[in-house]
Amino acid sequence: MRPLRLILILAVFCALARAGLAAEQITVVSWGGAYEAAQRRAIFAPFTAQTGIKVNIKAYSGGVEPLRQRAAAEGWDVIDMTEDDAISACGEGALSPLALDDILVPPRRGSLVGDFERGAFQKCSVAQNIYATVFAYSQTAFPGIKPNRVEDFFDLKRFPGMRALQRSPDVILEWALLAEGVPVAQVYDLLSTERGLKVAFGKLEEIRSAIVWWTDPAEPPALLAKGEVAMASGFNGRFFAASNSERAPLAIVWDSQQIGYEVWAIPSGSKNRENAEAFIGFATQPDQLARLAEHIPYAPTRHSALSRVGLHWRTQVPMRYHLPNTPRRNERVLYRDSQWYASTRALRQRRFEDWLAKTQD
Amino acid sequence: MSERGNEPASVEQGGAVYRITVLMLMALLVGVIVSLAAIAFVELVAWLNTTLLISPRARVQVEAAAWVVPLATVAVPTLGGLVVGVMLSRLSDEKRGLGPPDVIGAVQLRRQLPGARAGIVSTAAAAVSLGVGASVGQYGPMVYLGALIASVIRYTRLRVKNLEAISIACGVAAAIATAFNAPIAGLVFAHEVILRHYSLQAFAPVTVASETGYVVANVMFERPALFLVDFSGVQHGYEFALFALLGSLAAGVAVAFMLLTLKCGQLAGQTKLPPAFRPAAAGCAVGIVALWLPDVLGIGKETLRFATIEGAFQSWELVFLVAAKIGLTALCIGFGFAGGVFSPALLIGILFGALFWTVLNGMTGIENSGIAVYAICGMMALTSPVIGAPLTTILIVFELTRNYDLTIAAMVAVVFSNLIAYRTFGRSLFDVQLGRKGVDLSAGRDQARLMSEVIGSRALQDYPCCQAGETVRTVIGRLAKSQWGEAMVTDEAGVYLGVLRLQDVIDQPAAAARDVMQTGHVTFETQTTIWEAMAALKGFVGDAVPVVDPASGKLVGTVTETMIIETYLDVVHDLRREENAAA
Repeated sequence: MRPLRLILILAVFCALARAGLAAEQITVVSWGGAYEAAQRRAIFAPFTAQTGIKVNIKAYSGGVEPLRQRAAAEGWDVIDMTEDDAISACGEGALSPLALDDILVPPRRGSLVGDFERGAFQKCSVAQNIYATVFAYSQTAFPGIKPNRVEDFFDLKRFPGMRALQRSPDVILEWALLAEGVPVAQVYDLLSTERGLKVAFGKLEEIRSAIVWWTDPAEPPALLAKGEVAMASGFNGRFFAASNSERAPLAIVWDSQQIGYEVWAIPSGSKNRENAEAFIGFATQPDQLARLAEHIPYAPTRHSALSRVGLHWRTQVPMRYHLPNTPRRNERVLYRDSQWYASTRALRQRRFEDWLAKTQD
Repeated sequence: MSERGNEPASVEQGGAVYRITVLMLMALLVGVIVSLAAIAFVELVAWLNTTLLISPRARVQVEAAAWVVPLATVAVPTLGGLVVGVMLSRLSDEKRGLGPPDVIGAVQLRRQLPGARAGIVSTAAAAVSLGVGASVGQYGPMVYLGALIASVIRYTRLRVKNLEAISIACGVAAAIATAFNAPIAGLVFAHEVILRHYSLQAFAPVTVASETGYVVANVMFERPALFLVDFSGVQHGYEFALFALLGSLAAGVAVAFMLLTLKCGQLAGQTKLPPAFRPAAAGCAVGIVALWLPDVLGIGKETLRFATIEGAFQSWELVFLVAAKIGLTALCIGFGFAGGVFSPALLIGILFGALFWTVLNGMTGIENSGIAVYAICGMMALTSPVIGAPLTTILIVFELTRNYDLTIAAMVAVVFSNLIAYRTFGRSLFDVQLGRKGVDLSAGRDQARLMSEVIGSRALQDYPCCQAGETVRTVIGRLAKSQWGEAMVTDEAGVYLGVLRLQDVIDQPAAAARDVMQTGHVTFETQTTIWEAMAALKGFVGDAVPVVDPASGKLVGTVTETMIIETYLDVVHDLRREENAAA
């Protein structure tokens, strides 16, 4: 059955390509910046080359709100989201359910489900890469002792300087509890209580005067490079791109990194469903996933792709070590609980806004 | 409960190699099965907590529907209490949850555990109690579950001495080792609380079972240490005095907690509420309090952690929580939820420790090593007297936190607490509960065993006897043919009247037995224990003591002084042999 399906899909691709449907196109929505640049080279361009379908790219900064407001107007066909956003969006009907067995290309050996990371398949989405939310520091801000634990992020005495943080309750509340000595396994249990939120916001209060908020994930490496902040939260791929390609003097602290899944999904209003599904099928093949990881260190969600990850396409840096899920010693790793994230989004956002408003008093 | 002292299983067979092989294989098997059962129990409780919206992580995810959480908070423990009440009162012969006191009683007195059906119902009721968030602990039921599984060894014919007691100790050790991920504590708990001796014969298999439990929990299921705490050492020497003070104060709280728990049990008996509905009443109380103080629901793993974080609680919150948790736990246990006291004691203790630190830090401004060490000291100082096991408690801190400095600090608090609570209350809640059922372990194993052996069936049937109306001459004739110098005098119905002694009546052969017999002679009842018999025999002169049925007053037999002493020596020697058995 499986080789048959593979041949079928390839036949569809070939047929589409040969038919010379140069006019065919899809609109793919991603996050801009270094991430989008990597996707262009690793996935979008090869897709167009193979199928003849042109990829229009739109950018957004995550969340479910843009999907509600812009998807229909801009004709979005495929969207790159965090898994928890996709779960929320799926719940409110903004994404259409995916028949993943028909869309995805099975591995040469073993089952499709077994080849993907656990929990990669959701009703409306499939996980495509693994990213980490980490913090990085500016080498110039700390020429002496460097920060190496999340406790240091909250320690303005030992490590003075501004902190850039995403204007969102994501990750920072977890970091606040980790800095209070809560073990990784208990973070989400504690954050589920009123008291946990109080403790987390209390910790955040300690650095509120030093916070610079960012919304576009391209900002934190730029802020660090310009010396406007001493430490910044952000995505590991962006920090890597800045230090590896642009030689920005910054270093990632892997302690307390939060690992999450980035998924592909199709907005429910897409008028281009067939091509959108073909795109997802193509983009989640092991070759594409491995190639993306050679452009930006976001790890493949398929086991069959991980062993194909080699050197950075331009600087020849071995990329395995820079992937979030590579084994590291003595560092805490937090796994983003997408289901919990999706169901508590409204509550956390509300509390976060309340706390921000209190800050402005 | 039947005696099993006379069973053929106590007859030994085979050499040391056979015995060691049997014990080790038994330990391994018991270790694996109990460990898997313990994990299944914990998982079942966790699943119920999530499904029934008791765990905060499940509750917060349905927060958007405003009425769901408050409704679940009150309804789940109440309805759960009803289920537990009906289960225990309808399905169990014991009509109550079983726990460590039952295991201790069975092992110390060499009785069988209560029936398997009562054990299974009790375990299921405990899973429901914990699952619906009642303020009870999970370790007591797990100890019982381990003992229940291990006691199946009774049905084998392996002919190794003390096998059942050792097997039960293995089951208990494996349960503790798995539950706390603490093999050393499991080993020590089984000896300190259950066996109460340290023979190598038991020590080796219990170690194997404990270790097996640890391997299953760690290697097969990768369960993490339960309560990792970052602590880099005590900063000031004088803090050890503060730990001792904290321990002493915790002893007071522990005693209050234990007394209230016992009191609630009595109160429950006095209410007009039928037993099947009592847990529901306690559950309702828990639910209502939890609307304001959600921390009182269930085992409270989150609250345990918060207590080690500075500023997580205001001091008044701590006072309320300590009081609420004590009251609700006593209520839940007294009113018939199935569950233990260990986890609630941990929680009350850690909150009390945090309170102590908050007062110390806020009011006196004494430099100190931070809240974590005081919280942990409070936790262990309060728990230790409740379970009556200082050594186990110290080792649990060590294995739970994997922190040597914390253990050193907690040790001080634990011993001071234990000392005070022992003097004012008793060795442990378990022992006092047993004591109220007539099993007094306060003077050691020997007395308890001697008090559990009754004269009953030991009474001799072959002794001279006479009717009250018979003449002395007839009786002397009868005595001359026996080796006895006394005859028991009864009326026509066989009711005991007195003793006719040869030397008193030799010169009045015509008298009726009733007129010359001795009354006021020492008598035993069938239920008289060997311990009581030994005391009564002080200054006794005569051949034998009549044994009388307490209800009818009928004579059922006699016992000689030698028989009592032999039984006494048998029991004592048996205990010493058990304590010194090598393998």
